[in-house]
Amino acid sequence: MGNRGCDFQVAVQVKNRLRVLRAELAWSQADLAERLGVSRQTVNAIETGKYDPSLPLAFSLARTFKRRIEEIFEAEATRV
Amino acid sequence: MPDETPGQNPSDTPIDPLFTHPASPFIRTEAPQPVAFPSPPNQAPTAPIYSTWVLYRTQIEFGLALLAYLMVLVGSVTVLQANREADWRYYVAVLPVLPAALVIWIFLRALGRLDELQRRIHMQAFGFSLGTTALATFAYGFLEGAGMPHLNWTYVLPLMAVLWAIGAAIFKWRYR
Repeated sequence: MGNRGCDFQVAVQVKNRLRVLRAELAWSQADLAERLGVSRQTVNAIETGKYDPSLPLAFSLARTFKRRIEEIFEAEATRV
Repeated sequence: MPDETPGQNPSDTPIDPLFTHPASPFIRTEAPQPVAFPSPPNQAPTAPIYSTWVLYRTQIEFGLALLAYLMVLVGSVTVLQANREADWRYYVAVLPVLPAALVIWIFLRALGRLDELQRRIHMQAFGFSLGTTALATFAYGFLEGAGMPHLNWTYVLPLMAVLWAIGAAIFKWRYR
């Protein structure tokens, strides 16, 4: 559901495992937001797929969870 | 079980209540020992919460700048009403723009401190505010041509601010 409300066609839909990873560490959305230096709303929007993070934020997410970006985000389906 | 007598059956022994001897001067009373249970797994320390203060500091600065603007505005209007024919009245009249510029500077600085999603939300809100203000002023310009009373130019900025707030609420709700 990335890029909601945009007219141009989205070729790749990005899904993420953020909620699962967060639950493994028993962090709240606010905890993760504090670590990333963003607002809780941003973490929520990324988790629910309403917003795709920028590359720097994706990298800092990967660093926070000590995983590679591909282990957190994956290109789900191709919509043409 | 050879060494277990019926009297030592644990279900037969009387249960010692916690406060059998409450505050007795003769018998030493002791607090019950805490029950031993495994401690919870080690949790990573959470980051300190400082964002609240940053948020409040910006709001306090914004409020103080607005207060300064109002004070300079009232002073400027008072001085102007007392000296209607002075040569320097134009300088005094534009004086409130200085604290207003301070307000805008604080506002832009606060915008620059937002994270990427909030910045996106506020950009959309600004577009909404710009468009609706343009439409409203345009429409009222036509209405004025048709005979509606003339409105002051200073209504445009409050209108923009209110529409910005409405737009921010709308787009924030969409990313909820």
